Amino acid sequence: MDKQLDLLQGTLDMLILKAVSLGPLHGYGVLLRIQQISKDRLEIQQGSLYPALYRLEHQGWIASEWGESENKRKAKYYRLTAAGKRKLQTETENWNRMANVMAGILGTKPEEV
Amino acid sequence: MESEMDAELGFHVEAYAEDLIRSGVPCEEAMRRARLEFGGGEQVKEECREARGVVFLESLIEDIRYALRMMRRSPGFTAVAVLSLALGIGANTAIFSLINTLMLRRLPVRDPGQLVELLSQYPGEPRTNCCGGKAYAHIRDYNHVFSGIIGTAASGFKVRAEGLAPETVTGNYVVGDFFPVLGVKPAIGRLIGPEDDHIGSANSAVAVVSWSYWKNRFDLRPAILGKQILVEDVPLTIVGVTPRAFSGLQTGLKPDIWIPMAEEPMIAHPSRLISGGLGLALMGRLKPDVSIEQARAEMSVLNQWRVAEISKTNKDPLWRQARLEVEPAAAGFSLLRNQFMNPLVVLMAVVGLLLLIACSNLASMLLARAASRQHEMAVRVSLGAGRFRLVRQALTESLLLSAASSLLGVFLAYFGADALVRIMASGRRIVGLPSGIELQVPLDSHVLLFTAGVALLTGVLFGLAPAWNALASAPALSLRGIRGTGETRFRRLFGKSLVVAQVALSVVLLSAAGLFIRHLSNLEHLDLGFHRDHVLLVKLDPEHSGYEGERLYRAYKELLGRFEAIPGVRSATFSGTTPISGGGAASFVKVEGHPENPEDRRYVSVNWIGPKYFDTLGTPLLAGRDFNFQDQRGPRVAIINQAMARYFFGNESPVGKHFTIDRDWKGFGDDMPFEIVGVVGDAKYYEIREATHRTIYLNSFQDGNVSSQFALRTNVGPTAVGPEVRRTVSEVLKTVSVERLITLDDQVDASIVPERAIAALSGLLGALGAVLAAIGLYGLLAYAVARRINEIGIRMALGASRGDVRRMVLGDALGMVSAGLVIGAPVALWGKSFVASLIEDLPVKSVVPIVFGAVAMIAVALLAAYVPARRAARVDPIVALRYD
Repeated sequence: MDKQLDLLQGTLDMLILKAVSLGPLHGYGVLLRIQQISKDRLEIQQGSLYPALYRLEHQGWIASEWGESENKRKAKYYRLTAAGKRKLQTETENWNRMANVMAGILGTKPEEV
Repeated sequence: MESEMDAELGFHVEAYAEDLIRSGVPCEEAMRRARLEFGGGEQVKEECREARGVVFLESLIEDIRYALRMMRRSPGFTAVAVLSLALGIGANTAIFSLINTLMLRRLPVRDPGQLVELLSQYPGEPRTNCCGGKAYAHIRDYNHVFSGIIGTAASGFKVRAEGLAPETVTGNYVVGDFFPVLGVKPAIGRLIGPEDDHIGSANSAVAVVSWSYWKNRFDLRPAILGKQILVEDVPLTIVGVTPRAFSGLQTGLKPDIWIPMAEEPMIAHPSRLISGGLGLALMGRLKPDVSIEQARAEMSVLNQWRVAEISKTNKDPLWRQARLEVEPAAAGFSLLRNQFMNPLVVLMAVVGLLLLIACSNLASMLLARAASRQHEMAVRVSLGAGRFRLVRQALTESLLLSAASSLLGVFLAYFGADALVRIMASGRRIVGLPSGIELQVPLDSHVLLFTAGVALLTGVLFGLAPAWNALASAPALSLRGIRGTGETRFRRLFGKSLVVAQVALSVVLLSAAGLFIRHLSNLEHLDLGFHRDHVLLVKLDPEHSGYEGERLYRAYKELLGRFEAIPGVRSATFSGTTPISGGGAASFVKVEGHPENPEDRRYVSVNWIGPKYFDTLGTPLLAGRDFNFQDQRGPRVAIINQAMARYFFGNESPVGKHFTIDRDWKGFGDDMPFEIVGVVGDAKYYEIREATHRTIYLNSFQDGNVSSQFALRTNVGPTAVGPEVRRTVSEVLKTVSVERLITLDDQVDASIVPERAIAALSGLLGALGAVLAAIGLYGLLAYAVARRINEIGIRMALGASRGDVRRMVLGDALGMVSAGLVIGAPVALWGKSFVASLIEDLPVKSVVPIVFGAVAMIAVALLAAYVPARRAARVDPIVALRYD
């Protein structure tokens, strides 16, 4: 397994939006989903997850409601709102553009200058 | 919200732990690891709260819960803090509520700001709102400044009606314009209008009643309209009810009935409206574009007509100097305001001082407590609590304390204001009010706003110290656990300066109290010209008793003999006027052989008395003889006082000289000379502070002018003979009732109610302030000693004696007290001149009160310092050096 990467500033929000866009999840589920789709390559501070969730909810990109977990316990489930969907889309586009630019810059060889 | 968050985070930790267990980690280990990896629970929660955005309200609730917990944890501190502050806030609220009622509350009428009252100023006397009917008509018809001017006269009325118990109610005669000019609208029916105010017209046989009368006597039934009532046996028809908020123009008077002025000749016999003797209280409504200065100018012009008119019938030259003044009256007539405003302002200053003392006391207590919580603060800062949050926490605690105190304070104020009103009403009857003071002091929005403001201010004021403490907490030092490092030089100075402030404020308060008490004592020891102790005043009511004229004299003569036979009674007499009752008769006299320039003529007081009057009152007979029953058939005789003797006769003896009393009064005249048979010492009659009036005494039995006001000098406590007096009266005069029994002492005291109230309250509050300052000093010293035990141990190990240590602590205390005195004394001096401007003839030149305040404060401080000093001296160096 690759060495785990520390999370880049500001990327946690995108990861959460992406995770819940695949279906409603409780907080712990979000953590598991991110670990799963990142194939455990990202290190997420468990404690930092919840402030992010609350912030996104406050901004209206995700919404929450109480439901029952797989093992029949009360848990709070988050889902993507319409606004969140648009946000995820624009963030994804931005990210890709940025990644392209960065990759282009970082891939530059001396003779290309 | 908070519990949801707990549940959500809990779920996370547990779910993670379960996964760990499933992967083979042992149960306890799994829980521990799950929590550890989750990170600091509180910090996460705090971040979550902030992220959620509603953080302020939530954390406020959190703060309040925390503060409540802290309050519960030290109930003693909380009780002392809340109680001392509640006393301060309660006293302030009570006094303010009275000031509000007397001065700030506006009449519930249209545009009260336009209203002014017209005050008549007779030279040398307080201004009164009292004007004759003719002058009123003249001002009404010839002024250009008022859009309306109204007159009203208060009186008591005996009211009967079918289905109602007979009673005497307070009421007002009002001119026809009264309600229209005020712009008062009826609750039901109609109010008195100009069409009702014509003498002799059947229209004027109407009455309007107050809302509370309607409620209490008629249960708000609309059937009251058209109902006939008998007012002094004159049938009047009730045509309307005034609105609930309206209770007349005079604060302290609650009239229940309004009657057209034109009805007065039907009701009053003889009519004072017709004779011109009815005094009207006048209120004008300024025209919108007219200033009060213009009104003043015009009234001084119209006044010339008024005094010329008065001087036609009244020979008093001083009347020509009388003025007519105009004052704003948005809050109603000023009668009560004039009586009580200055005393209330003084009391407001006194209770303000007390509140400041309570505040700084609380601040120093909180500061000491904050020092002991230094460690906790440091831990919280290290755990990630924001500094701002801690400051807010500290302020929340102090504001919560002040909020609790103000709730209790408002409760206290409710009773306090009531007690103050009762004290105000305990004074003698105020000239101009037909009944005693009836004052409702509502805790209205003004008062509650005031209290809330005071609470907020005090909360911030005494909360600043601990808040500053929170801001300055230095976790690194404090957590290292070194005792005493948290005690910065700044904080030590701050704590000390709080105590200094308390001492200074207490000195001001104590010296003010000393000043008022001394003032009262001066008043009580004024030479009044009679001995106020051991005299019982008995007022009888012979009206409707069937006793009249000659029969009444004989009965009263017998009664005097029977009174003197009561064991414990030394002598008995009666008089038309008793000392310091606030009233009396006066006339002009011509003294044989001493013609006076008309401009120099002054009223002479006249009092009808029975034999042994001077003996009973304790006024010395300086020359000649007293009256006796034999005078009845002899030539007319009189006794004069020293002031009169000196003015007319200088060093000559007046005995045997003659004078006459002016004819326009009581049927006397130039052909009815009185022979002066005696001279007595001067005595005060209206006020205890007045210059003595020239006075003549006439013999009641000679003049056919007996009075029903008896006076008895007793060997025993004067009230002890009361029951026997009542029994004697009922035996001698079966149909005559005893109207009133009062000791002369009480009657004199009733004339100086404000002075007595100020002295008593300021004394009480001064003592309270000193106790609070002592608590503050004690707290600070006790804390300082506890903190310095280590140091004291070292000092003693190095050879300091117990005496040295004691001196060190006491010296510390004395240092703070001296600083307080140095600051307090000049403030007290300044305060003296401030109160001297509000209360006449205060003994301001005396330094005794300030010295008294200073000495009292030093004594209290030494007492407070004694316990900590002894504790310091008892420190065992061996134990102390091991101490932490």
